[in-house]
Amino acid sequence: MSPYDSATSAGSSSGSSSASSSTKPADIDGLLAGAGYKVRSSDLRHVAQRLERLETAMVNSPVELSQLASSDTVLYNPSDIASWVDSLLSEFNHTPSLPSDLPDLPDVVVGPGINPTVINEADATWTDHDAPQQQQQQQQQQNVQSLTIPPNQLTVVTAMEEDSGIRLVHMLMTCADSVQRGDLSLAGSLIEDMQSLLRRVNTTCGIGKVAGYFIDALSRRIFTPQANGLFGGSASGSASAFENELLYHHFYEACPYLKFAHFTANQAILEAFDGHDSVHVIDFNLMHGLQWPALIQALALRPGGPPLLRLTGIGPPSPDGRDSLREIGLRLAELARSVNVRFAFRGVAAQRLEDVKPWMLQVNSKEAVAVNSIMQLHRLLGSDPNRSPPIGIVLGWIRQLNPKIMTVIEHEANHNQPGFMDRFTESLYYYSTMFDSLEACTLQPEKALAEIYIQREICNVVSCEGSARVERHEPLAKWRSRLGQAGFRPLHLGSNAFKQASMLLTLFSAEGYCVEENEGCLTLGWHSRPLISASAWQAVPDANSPLGIVTL
Amino acid sequence: MAGSNEVNLNESKMVVPLNTWVLISNFKLAYNLLRRPDGTFNRHLAEFLDRKVPANAKPVDGVFSFDVVLDRSTGLYIRIYRQAHGEEPQLNIADLEKPVTAEVAPVIVFFHGGSFAHSSANSAIYDALCRRLVGICKAVVVSVNYRRAPENRYPCAYDDGWAALKWVSSRSWLQSKDSKVHIYLAGDSSGGNIVHHVALRAVESDIEVLGNILLNPMFGGLERTDSETRLDGKYFVTTRDRDWYWRAYLPEGEDRDHPACNPFGPKGKSLEGIKFPKSLVVVASLDLTQDWQLAYAKGLEKAGQVDSASWVWLSSLYVDAGLDCWVQRYGSACSST
Repeated sequence: MSPYDSATSAGSSSGSSSASSSTKPADIDGLLAGAGYKVRSSDLRHVAQRLERLETAMVNSPVELSQLASSDTVLYNPSDIASWVDSLLSEFNHTPSLPSDLPDLPDVVVGPGINPTVINEADATWTDHDAPQQQQQQQQQQNVQSLTIPPNQLTVVTAMEEDSGIRLVHMLMTCADSVQRGDLSLAGSLIEDMQSLLRRVNTTCGIGKVAGYFIDALSRRIFTPQANGLFGGSASGSASAFENELLYHHFYEACPYLKFAHFTANQAILEAFDGHDSVHVIDFNLMHGLQWPALIQALALRPGGPPLLRLTGIGPPSPDGRDSLREIGLRLAELARSVNVRFAFRGVAAQRLEDVKPWMLQVNSKEAVAVNSIMQLHRLLGSDPNRSPPIGIVLGWIRQLNPKIMTVIEHEANHNQPGFMDRFTESLYYYSTMFDSLEACTLQPEKALAEIYIQREICNVVSCEGSARVERHEPLAKWRSRLGQAGFRPLHLGSNAFKQASMLLTLFSAEGYCVEENEGCLTLGWHSRPLISASAWQAVPDANSPLGIVTL
Repeated sequence: MAGSNEVNLNESKMVVPLNTWVLISNFKLAYNLLRRPDGTFNRHLAEFLDRKVPANAKPVDGVFSFDVVLDRSTGLYIRIYRQAHGEEPQLNIADLEKPVTAEVAPVIVFFHGGSFAHSSANSAIYDALCRRLVGICKAVVVSVNYRRAPENRYPCAYDDGWAALKWVSSRSWLQSKDSKVHIYLAGDSSGGNIVHHVALRAVESDIEVLGNILLNPMFGGLERTDSETRLDGKYFVTTRDRDWYWRAYLPEGEDRDHPACNPFGPKGKSLEGIKFPKSLVVVASLDLTQDWQLAYAKGLEKAGQVDSASWVWLSSLYVDAGLDCWVQRYGSACSST
């Protein structure tokens, strides 16, 4: 089972790893997979040759290697060794003073599907060891948890209080378990016990605070089950939509998750729009349009001048005849005018994303389209027993629009499992980490309102079911497979996006946030636990598309 | 500089299995991009390229892991790996720090390698290694995410290692039946170096370390040894890059005879008369710094640390090649405590 069995070891491999739930293609090399890389066994020799070629090029290059890496070179998806070596090789081919006396280098061709060039076999080649027994290692854990207990907080509490914290967690788990088993009377009495225990624990921070929210969510589930249609995602009534926007705005200010989302998506959209004179952004959840001033300004500064920018913002209908979508559109239009960007806004009012029909978006065939979804797709996974989840239909029409790019930001969490206990435990880990990251925030009332924003998510995950449960977060690995099956291919976010996101974080946020690269996507997390993922996608051309939309 | 390094890949290709060759070459080439001649390090690119895995409280092959932050201001965290007992598919948060049940429960404090500049506790290669250690040694493994050079020079890595050791030794849930925590220090490359120096600090305290395991530990000195000359550039590693990492870690202006790099050198201090943990030093015969590693083992011997042993081992290049042998030996060493 070792990922590091040497080729000559006689150890036999056991059967396939029973714990892994993700199935990898059988020919991915196990040693490399265990180290986080994807290379097919059949490609190993080819990759090795290109590594060797790259090494030769590097050694003979007069340019300092590190200069190359810090210049305009953008690298993508380091897990795919074959392609990243090729991209580096092409960098070296562009270096003007590559010595012409380099032996045995025919024109280097880069890219997949190209036959490997002939290499002088006078050098030694790799010995032909028997293919080692490969063991498939589960590289991406499906269910990821880490709990960061702030020890500096634990050390100041008394021993009794530390025990109380642990007891609270025990009871929470027992309560969740009894809910899953349907033993609501036990669950109810546990709620009461926990509430009294809460009085003896510090609930202003740490485990006491998080436990408090989960106890509240459980108690709603147990005592007011009929309310699970009213609370959470239904957003019925005017106050709800206004509150949602307010809470969202404070969550945006208090911690960097949404800023990271906007920033990363905007960078990708900007790149996708390169060379287009007419562009159209479709925002699946406009809110206050916080994402768009930065994009408008970036487009204004674009070499060659800005394109015509259309923005279609989707959001819930406003009460009292106010057209809040239009108001935001007007503000954005003013900004655009001030920086000389031709701009047009359209609001699409819809209670739910699945109510939007593509004709409402009025996409025309000459413009480059970007679809922007910040934590919206998971809401389409809802299970209504009478019909299949709307995600399929929505992804279908997005694909029909043939966008140049679709940016997808989602929670990096597994909160949509069928078993209640699994969901409960996952969310306890996830939100503990998120609350922990909020501790560093000192802005008020931003912090307090951000906590309420998060609390609402917790309530939805824990106490709601059916169509009322809209917070159906799924991890990146699941989205990759889902979007792949729906006819999308990934557009990789590269080292430049990674670096800029990291730099912004160090400038504007507390220590502890970290950006990670994940096979072409980026995640933002707190102390080694990823919490938000950002990815970009493009529709694979569909031969059956009735409109035959082709974008250059 | 251009053309001055002879590219000698022929030997390594004959000895090393293809997939291992690809893995290590990939690291080497990536690392070449990260080291700048002015001594700075492209940290953003390094983090971008490093393959990481999150902790996982759901047992996989009988092992689960979780992270604990020890110091927010420095980002010092540890990743704890434990055996899952029983059939629960999902671990209770409260079970993460459940007391160990074995009569003798070894705890291995592990320092990952990376020449003080690369890798993290959540690097995929080290996460996999630590998971294996748990099963083979029946131990709790605590992997330390110490601060790295060149942003954090000597003695930051040792300070962080020491902080982790103190934390581990003060956990009641890690105590064996004799109410003591049975601690071993282990590490590869720079991690091996950290093992020595943290053990040195422990000696002056009341924390007992039962054993040191140094796997291809990173030591050096001003002098050029025979193995460095003989093997320079032959197996992925050059003296030039070794020198770069020492310049990045040691205090500015110091040379490689600084005791951090050369503990038994001219500026070093003898361990004679000191109750130093018994040590296992594993040396790879294709490692160009092996003479320094052997000198370290000799230094222990000379100081009367007779319980030390060193293994010179053919065909082992880095921690990730041929790990079985080492781990099994260590496993039996553990259980014979």
